[in-house]
Amino acid sequence: MIDLQIIPFAIISIIMIGSSIMVIKSKEVVHSAFHCVIAMMSAAGFYVLLSAQFVAVVQILVYVGAIGVMILFAVMLTTREQEVD
Amino acid sequence: MGLFITIMDYLVIFFSTWEFAPWVRGILGGLVIGAVFGGALVMVYLERKFLGDIQSRIGPNRVGGRFGVLQLIADAIKLFTKEDIIPAKADKWLFIGAPIVALTSGFLMVAVIPFDLLMIKGSEYAVAVSRMDISILYLEAVSGLSIFAIFMAGWGSGSKYSLLAGFRNVAKMIGYEVPLGIAIISVAVMAHSLDIVEIVKAQSTWWFIIAQPLGFVVFFIALLADVGRIPFDQTEAEEELIAGWATEYSGMRWGLAFFAEYLHAVVGSFIITLIFLGGWNGLPLIGNLYIPGIFWLIAKTIMVIMLFIWVRGALPRYRIDQVIDIGWKVLIPLALLNLVWSTIIGLMWA
Repeated sequence: MIDLQIIPFAIISIIMIGSSIMVIKSKEVVHSAFHCVIAMMSAAGFYVLLSAQFVAVVQILVYVGAIGVMILFAVMLTTREQEVD
Repeated sequence: MGLFITIMDYLVIFFSTWEFAPWVRGILGGLVIGAVFGGALVMVYLERKFLGDIQSRIGPNRVGGRFGVLQLIADAIKLFTKEDIIPAKADKWLFIGAPIVALTSGFLMVAVIPFDLLMIKGSEYAVAVSRMDISILYLEAVSGLSIFAIFMAGWGSGSKYSLLAGFRNVAKMIGYEVPLGIAIISVAVMAHSLDIVEIVKAQSTWWFIIAQPLGFVVFFIALLADVGRIPFDQTEAEEELIAGWATEYSGMRWGLAFFAEYLHAVVGSFIITLIFLGGWNGLPLIGNLYIPGIFWLIAKTIMVIMLFIWVRGALPRYRIDQVIDIGWKVLIPLALLNLVWSTIIGLMWA
């Protein structure tokens, strides 16, 4: 009998690993930024699974709400490539 | 009224025996989300009607009788039948994702809003989908996600106007999340808790607006900026940016984005009622007057919503540089001042 917690853990892990890979592989820098945000949010998901709600909320508040926005703020100061292939 | 209380008692006893059953929480969540969804619809209708009065117009008066009650349904049908256009230059996933993220952020906020506190057989039950120890912090965190929605829409549309709106939004939000957070901290300091239920219980004799009026003003202005309503709607300034970040959206995608904005405004009104206007507590010193708390909460929330609409009808829009000046140079110092004040007062607050 496996622990049912493995299922959300597996889903969040796949999302986190996939989005982390996409941060590096994306051709457009704004996609990398959004995948980075998704990876940070999945870390909050892990904290919820560990029943550490406070850490999860602070993770979203600081990493997604503040650092994610700062990354976007930096991205929006870059110029967009006309042709992306 | 007695019947209502009996029904609520029955429901709560039913829920408390099934307290940990996830499907019960699911049904309760569905009901609450439906209620807030309906609240947002009512707000759209009120806004059109009340704004019409302010501007000496009639407002909707054709569909559904003299008062145009069914106008919104007609609009929704119209939006559903429109063609769904994704511009050729658009970044498809960001374009599609933006309304979804906006609505998700609104619905996640609804989850921790308590509507009443019931005392049954000596133990208390909060009428909320989920009760957390840190619910006000959770609200602050989740409301921050809506920044991404507008940025995604702005960047993904592939249009200059949308992009400018997205940039404006990020620049504005960086400034306004700070006073919003500090005002919430001031309230939490006085209530000695981050749980909204505890914050409302701390206001049973006096509301926090009486203890810290400055905090209320700061929070109200920052909330107006947070939900992007006039005088802080630079992200969709019609005269400058066509429709801002929503320029390229059509049909029901636009409908969802528009609706998410009203959902945020309604949830924001609930938060302002809960943390400054006493939530489900009745008037100070007078008490509930035998009216159930949920009616007090909803009545006060509707008054806050009317205040939002009144502000929209009365004030012109600021320029974007003025908005950023107000955020950094006025609101943050005032919020810090209020934090000091509420710490001093909080030591004496019963």
